[in-house]
Amino acid sequence: MKMLTLILLTFLSTSAFAQGQYFYLTLDFAKPLANTEWIGDMATRGARVGYRSFINDKISAGLDLGWNTYDQYNPTETRETGNTAITTDYFKYIYSYSATVSGQYNFEVGEGDRFHPYAGLGLGAVNQQHAIYYNIYHDSERSWGFLARPEAGILVRLSRYGSFGLMGAIHYDYSTNKSPKFNYGSFSALGFQLGIVFIEL
Amino acid sequence: MKETLFLFLLAMLIGCQPEPDAQRLYDELVVSTSYDKSADFKAYATYALPTDTIGFVSNSSPDTILVASENSFPRPVLDAVARNMNALGFTRVDRNGSPDLGVNVAVVNDFNVFQEIVYPDPYYYSGGFYPGYYGYGSAYYYPFVNTYAYNTGVVIVELVDLKNKNANNEVRVVWTAYLGDVYSTIDLIPQTEAAIDQAFRQSPYLQQGL
Repeated sequence: MKMLTLILLTFLSTSAFAQGQYFYLTLDFAKPLANTEWIGDMATRGARVGYRSFINDKISAGLDLGWNTYDQYNPTETRETGNTAITTDYFKYIYSYSATVSGQYNFEVGEGDRFHPYAGLGLGAVNQQHAIYYNIYHDSERSWGFLARPEAGILVRLSRYGSFGLMGAIHYDYSTNKSPKFNYGSFSALGFQLGIVFIEL
Repeated sequence: MKETLFLFLLAMLIGCQPEPDAQRLYDELVVSTSYDKSADFKAYATYALPTDTIGFVSNSSPDTILVASENSFPRPVLDAVARNMNALGFTRVDRNGSPDLGVNVAVVNDFNVFQEIVYPDPYYYSGGFYPGYYGYGSAYYYPFVNTYAYNTGVVIVELVDLKNKNANNEVRVVWTAYLGDVYSTIDLIPQTEAAIDQAFRQSPYLQQGL
């Protein structure tokens, strides 16, 4: 407990003397990599928002919140099980909400440089709801999981010393969310972010 | 201002959890069929089917039948069932003509209403304000009632074995089709006819002479 307090105080004190910070808001397109037979289509509905503060020239840390909706339409088909058969079309969804604490290594750039590449890792939690809709009927299952998210990206300031810029990033998400009903033992996805950033360096 | 913020957050939440478009969701019925594995469908040759009446089971209506003279639904539904039975090789006979199979068609309706009384939080409520209501000395806000209702229903088609009654003169259902939901359709009758066709199409074991 003392060690945890010490780490927290160290983090807070270094943050208080941070050399910079940034806030970002991006769209997040994600391609599922797990159980792609159920949903394999790229999710075009998603967003990430985050705040990161520089602890020193190279290391930053912060909080990221994310949302993705994965969906896929299955045209009408007949499924037979034993002496029963059911014919319908299906609308399948995964609603995913995540929160991570992340740390980044920021590659060295020159004073006043417009480009700020970084690589980092986020660790946190994700809540997922798997849902299937057919006619008026629907079935769903919700789960919590641990999330690990390695990420690489770049911040681009639009002007040399301006605070407004663009952000692009690629990330891999692995989470321990299970959904036995929909045959998920875990979940993973590859995501692409593009959005805006407000930088104060 | 607080209402605006609340509505904005609500819109965000709804936007984050999109659901399928109703027009696409309800444009065809779910068709489910099952059969008795011990039944020998080739042993049946004839069937009986009402001409203008289907059953109606509802928790909101005392009616027990839907009649073609009062409702446009029974006739095309019964015609679709007869057309499919004939196409499979069965022969329609009068109910007094000792049919091998009896065909039951019914709608099962489930109607439910929920109500909740909401007492507004005065701090957030921006509507009317009635001091001293019913003798209370303080401000009072009228509660309001939210009403939610759902009305669902399935068409059930059953083939009943009339040929092999047991010692107690009991019969058994050898094939059942559930078609739903018929209360949330885009175009009720064509969708129901298409669903009946599909129910028979996904039951090839009914075919006579196979």
